[in-house]
Amino acid sequence: MGYIMGKAEGSVAREEWHGHVTALSVAPEFRRLGLAAKLMEMLEEISERKGGFFVDLFVRVSNQVAVNMYKQLGYSVYRTVIEYYSASNGEPDEDAYDMRKALSRDTEKKSIIPLPHPVRPEDIE
Amino acid sequence: MAARGHVQDPNDRRLRPIYDYLDNGNNKMAIQQADKLLKKHKELHCAKVLKAIGLQRTGKQDEAFTLAQEVTVLEPTDDNSLQALTILYREMHRPELVTKLYEAAVRKVPTSEEYHSHLFMAYARVGEYKKMQQAGMALFKIVPKNPYYFWSVMSLVMQAISAQDEKLSQTMFLPLAERMVEKMVKEEKIEAEAEVQLYFMILERLGKFVEALEVVQGPLGEKLTSELQSRENKSMKLYRRLERWPECNALSCKLLLKNPDDWQFYLLYFDSLFQVIDQNWTPPLEGAPSAEGEVHASVAQSISFINERLATEEAKESKHLRGPYLARLELIRRLRERSCPEAMQLGEPLEHMFQFFVKFGDKPCCITDLKIFLDLLTPDQHVQFINRLMEVVPLGMAGEEGEAFPADTRALQRHLCVTQLSRSLGLQHALNTGGKLSLIKELKAHYHHGLQFGTSCLKTELQFSDMYCLMAAHVYLDLWKETGNQSMLWQCMGLLEEGLTHSSSNAQFKLLLLLLYCRLGAFEPVVDLYASLDAKHTSEYIIQAYKYGAFEKIPEFIAFRNRLEHSLHFAQVRTERMLLDLFLEADISSSLEESIKSMSLCPEEDDIPWENLRDNRDLTVFVNWSPADRQLKEEHKQCSVEEETLWLRLRSLTLRLIGCVSSLTHSSTPHNSEKTTENGVTTKPLVFPSLLSQLENTLNQAVQFTETPPRAEYPFLGPVASRLVQAVSSGCCQCQLSMFQLPVHLQELQSLGLDGSAELQTQISNLFKSIAAQLHDILEKCKGDLLEVGDDQSRTQHWFLENLVYFVETVCIVLWVSQYCASVLRPLKSTLQKKKKKKKEASSVTPAVLLGFQEFSSSTQNLLKDALEHIRSQEITLSALKLEALKLELVEASFTKTAMEKVQSSYLRSLQEIGELLKKRADSFKSLKI
Repeated sequence: MGYIMGKAEGSVAREEWHGHVTALSVAPEFRRLGLAAKLMEMLEEISERKGGFFVDLFVRVSNQVAVNMYKQLGYSVYRTVIEYYSASNGEPDEDAYDMRKALSRDTEKKSIIPLPHPVRPEDIE
Repeated sequence: MAARGHVQDPNDRRLRPIYDYLDNGNNKMAIQQADKLLKKHKELHCAKVLKAIGLQRTGKQDEAFTLAQEVTVLEPTDDNSLQALTILYREMHRPELVTKLYEAAVRKVPTSEEYHSHLFMAYARVGEYKKMQQAGMALFKIVPKNPYYFWSVMSLVMQAISAQDEKLSQTMFLPLAERMVEKMVKEEKIEAEAEVQLYFMILERLGKFVEALEVVQGPLGEKLTSELQSRENKSMKLYRRLERWPECNALSCKLLLKNPDDWQFYLLYFDSLFQVIDQNWTPPLEGAPSAEGEVHASVAQSISFINERLATEEAKESKHLRGPYLARLELIRRLRERSCPEAMQLGEPLEHMFQFFVKFGDKPCCITDLKIFLDLLTPDQHVQFINRLMEVVPLGMAGEEGEAFPADTRALQRHLCVTQLSRSLGLQHALNTGGKLSLIKELKAHYHHGLQFGTSCLKTELQFSDMYCLMAAHVYLDLWKETGNQSMLWQCMGLLEEGLTHSSSNAQFKLLLLLLYCRLGAFEPVVDLYASLDAKHTSEYIIQAYKYGAFEKIPEFIAFRNRLEHSLHFAQVRTERMLLDLFLEADISSSLEESIKSMSLCPEEDDIPWENLRDNRDLTVFVNWSPADRQLKEEHKQCSVEEETLWLRLRSLTLRLIGCVSSLTHSSTPHNSEKTTENGVTTKPLVFPSLLSQLENTLNQAVQFTETPPRAEYPFLGPVASRLVQAVSSGCCQCQLSMFQLPVHLQELQSLGLDGSAELQTQISNLFKSIAAQLHDILEKCKGDLLEVGDDQSRTQHWFLENLVYFVETVCIVLWVSQYCASVLRPLKSTLQKKKKKKKEASSVTPAVLLGFQEFSSSTQNLLKDALEHIRSQEITLSALKLEALKLELVEASFTKTAMEKVQSSYLRSLQEIGELLKKRADSFKSLKI
């Protein structure tokens, strides 16, 4: 039907401890049921419990359906990562949006203030 | 890849360029640079290892290994050498050598946390659980961190899991692990969720469910936060194991009140309800009814519970959940199974299913939801049900051809759902040929009409109307099966090819096309199709799981690895791959002996885990709307596994026998062993006859299998028949067996000599004759047109191609065995000639066996000429075929032609490849002299 994969990572001291969505997928026949939103909600809940400051994810800039869905769920583009995706031959393929949503621990929502410039994959942690 | 520490060591600077070369795949430069460095700094061991990595990656395994060992014996303790050696040994698939490396390192630096932890992981890679346990404790003694202690505990659990003796697990490993955790609990030293998780695992495996329940529900359970409802889920699991049905019922009730859409809890609710009823359970006189609160103990209570859920759902303004509606149907089913008259109180399933469709018919999952309840309808309700649903599908005005189409994707989804239900009820299967053809027309019209809704879809998305296309393809297949008319198959393939042009990510289209091209023996299009499926690859996460304390995943990963290692399919692919390499390359690019050596094939060893072979196929991968009576059955699966296993046995024995023939030939060649020809001793006296009799037995079983009537035919979308039937009927198996019998006789001849072996010689000559006749018969079965084109259709006769492949494979084996025969006969002949010269006998008769061999050799050469001639003429016929001449229906003509052309082109290429190989084998035969 569908699955979500994620992890908690980042430094607590630098207020970068967060939940990361590694993968989110819903089979075609189980779409339009709100499953993706449900799965995201679960991951956010667990990230809250683990004391994360925010949840983040990477998405292809061309994947408008997904970008819009994440926006509806309260995510915003924090930065663009240039040539984050590569094709199977290793050639650069496409940019990614790094999208974030602040959790309750980040009271001032500092973690989601968009960066002014795009970054390269080697510059992200 | 090296340790890039912050303090710059001068050696790091010197080694840097080599690392860079290796990272960039420039292995030659890496080797050169390492050599240069080693001239100046002989003591820089790491450079040697890096050179070895370069050598390994350029195929010089032996040199690389020697170099690596030179450094290893010095027992290095510098990070650079250790890490480089770790990488090298892993690339060599020798992870056990890494353990030796770090064993030495910790011996020399006994207080190093880092080396101890590397040692633990090295043991983890090779599954040395006992040593892991010790390494974990050693580490904990140096640095008392909890994770190290629990690594050790987990290693005990793994010893328990892997122990052959269940008693040992239950009385030693697990209790010890339990005591180790209890010690930490008592000292209040439990820190992490992983530790509680591990404690839970141990108690569960020990069958201590009550204790496990206490842990989950007690203060330790508060640490279980990584999974939502973790404590509830675990409690539920334990209640079931403990058969505490009242608690199970009460807890599922509570969870359903929280989330009325969680299907698993409905099932548990019903299971526990009927258990409670059957046990005549009554609530205790005092206190709570159960540890989890209120318990439902009657059908009436369950009916009102479900009705309440429905009422709550109905009252909602927002999106309705499907759970309560499906739960009502499930309850009806269960009550009917128990012949409970109360089932009537819940109303008529047809009505509920109709209402469900009204509410959820526009969701793609509606079909899978309703499909499982179709058996609640009586057969006479089927048509009525479909008609009723159809009435509420909003379709536009009927066009000229009388067809009405949905105006948006929601209407399309509804229409599609009814169509799928209709097929699932067998209504489509009941149509006659004309009915099916008009159904296809209708489905295709809906498919094409629906494409307009998906014009803005990304290429990774599916078209809304794809399922119509797939269903039309299925109906074509029904027609093909029923009428035998291959134009149905071509149109099916054309339609799927067309589908892919609109929806390039549709895996169902690709899978079905793969199946069909394979069935026709057209493998050229298969490669790209398969690649485009972009199957996900898995890697191993066991080490990661220890690092992050994901202990519960470790047994899962190990079980998964075992599943792969015991895969029937994997064993088949490996065997076929080796056979193919030999058939294609051995004796051409390198000798048979070298080829066999390079694939580390050892005929004495059977490395297929026959007793534990697993069928890992997913036979439900195809979307399938077949009605219940046409679905895949358990007997089909069993039959298919039996067939596949038999085929694997045949092929693996063939492979090993080829290995034997090679080593026989090698050892009987005079320059390898002078003595063998004199005393007739060969190196592998026992393996060969044993394998030969196994092959004979297996072939008998195979023949029996193919003849046992009546073998149920697999459903079209079920398992694919193996090549067994065709291989047996081509005669190739029998012929190969006969050929493998020759060496046994020739060994005997070798020990007897030419004089006084007349009877044996006649026997051998007869065998030669019989093989020649068999080869001839196989070739006859290859003769026919692969593709026939008539007025309005073309027909494949792909079995001719398959037989041709068996013919070539047999020819290869015949050649290799003949080479062995020649190696035995050659010295016999020369001894004879020497004798003749001595005695100056002018006219003596050539021994029967020599004559027999010569005759066989020349008849085989003639046969190969004939075969090559046939292949050439097939190539000409095939290339000359004009598919354009076919009168095809206009609309899909181009796609149908695409499919046909792919098959044509694939056949041509196969013929060319087979022809080239056969030509080389024929040349080898020509040069085979005694």
